[in-house]
Amino acid sequence: MSQIVCQCGKKLATIHVTEIINGEKKEIHLCEDCAKKKKLVFPTSSSVIDLSEVLSGIVQAAGEAENDELKKAVCPNCGMTFADFRSAGRFGCPNDYEVFRRGVDPLLERIHGTAEHRGKQASAPASARADDRLTQLRSELRKAVSDEAYERAARIRDQIYALKKGRGNAAE
Amino acid sequence: MQLSDLVHQSGEWLRGLGTDSDIVISTRIRLARNVAGYPFVSRLKPEQQAGLSQRLCESIVDDTVVPDCHYFDLKAASEIERRLLVERHLISKEHEDAAGDRGVAIRVNEAVSIMVNEEDHLRIQVLHCGFELAETWRLTNEVDTALGDRVPYAYSERLGYLTACPTNVGTGMRASVMLHLPALELTKQIEKVFHAVAKINLIVRGLYGEGTQASGNLYQISNQISLGKTEEEILAEIQGIIPEIVENERRARQFLLDRNRQQIEDRVWRAYGMLRHARIISSGETIALLSHLRLGVHLALLSNLDISAVNQLFVRTLPAHLQVLEGRELGPQVRDVARATYIRECLAQAGHTGDQ
Repeated sequence: MSQIVCQCGKKLATIHVTEIINGEKKEIHLCEDCAKKKKLVFPTSSSVIDLSEVLSGIVQAAGEAENDELKKAVCPNCGMTFADFRSAGRFGCPNDYEVFRRGVDPLLERIHGTAEHRGKQASAPASARADDRLTQLRSELRKAVSDEAYERAARIRDQIYALKKGRGNAAE
Repeated sequence: MQLSDLVHQSGEWLRGLGTDSDIVISTRIRLARNVAGYPFVSRLKPEQQAGLSQRLCESIVDDTVVPDCHYFDLKAASEIERRLLVERHLISKEHEDAAGDRGVAIRVNEAVSIMVNEEDHLRIQVLHCGFELAETWRLTNEVDTALGDRVPYAYSERLGYLTACPTNVGTGMRASVMLHLPALELTKQIEKVFHAVAKINLIVRGLYGEGTQASGNLYQISNQISLGKTEEEILAEIQGIIPEIVENERRARQFLLDRNRQQIEDRVWRAYGMLRHARIISSGETIALLSHLRLGVHLALLSNLDISAVNQLFVRTLPAHLQVLEGRELGPQVRDVARATYIRECLAQAGHTGDQ
């Protein structure tokens, strides 16, 4: 395919515009930089969200009192401040979503149109299920003891030990 | 399996099979997941990151999670090996360039790859050739559920799966379909596609993801929104628009055959001639010419040329692949010569195509 050089004469044209004004057709070939300068907005580039732009809009929209509160908030887990998030565009830890909720929820609404999850739900992690199992085993153990079924009780006790040991390994 | 072995196999997305495979190259779904109790990757301490990489590697490489899976430590991998993985769409460019302890687990058939400690702790990716959203999601969901049984994910009832970047939160899902749209580009209708897609909150990207230029008339269409919809709803939006684009591309191809047969034949045969005889050829020119060759095969203008051979060339002529195939590092100029030689040999082997 023939390659067309942009009007600036420096780079290959990657954006091709056909303008029809009063029935007159005109073709323009531009590189990405020149297209940006001309403020030509294309769905391909405009649809990639500029986080910092959206964020500054939200902070401006919020009242001053809320802003002060946001500014003071620091995540106790990762030490991130809202200003850190604004400049990085990335959170420091999962807890930040709650710590900066006042700033984050409007942001999520701007990006996704909502701040509410409706998709797949995480299954309870294995550790939570181990807790359930432990509770169940303990009550079985109590019953075995009160039934004076000591052999069964010993088996259950071993199972409890094994489960606890396994969890100890899983923790960092 | 070693990383360099990958060049000799075809890779899932290059098999050239599946629904609408004359136009849809591949379907890809990725899920972003993080492990509860840890900061996101950018705030991990080096020793913490090393420990987490190790832990995740052990959780993933298990037949009940991903069978026939190998883990590669990217900190230890060479520059060429990392590039090779990007060229095969198994890791992102960001993962290639990062510095910390990180890796990728790859199923031998390349249908599943899981990046460890990219922007999120886990990026689960499933690739399928052709237009196969339902099957791709089935496998992605299966891997995610199995892994979630072993690793407690960072999850909130309200916001779903919590990710480092707020654009991925919720489902953590990005589904994309890679399309080959040469006829829409030749007939200058490609922008209509962009507009139609943007209207329903989907976006178009180039071959290697965000911010990359479309080359070889290859485009990826993917969802932008990850929160507030179920995975099935997001997939249904993509499922709805792809057949329309496919239909438009088919119509444009037919239009070219009906109205511009000589021009299109000329273009295809010129591409073949250049590839078959050039002595020096860049990677960019190769992709542009292969795009025409691919169109020629699907329009039955080139007989006897196997589409899988053409698809293979798309990847094997990329810089890292070429260097692994040659077994040595090559500078850009030497590479262009080696590339031309390699293409000539492949096309000679693929059989002489009878001219009409």
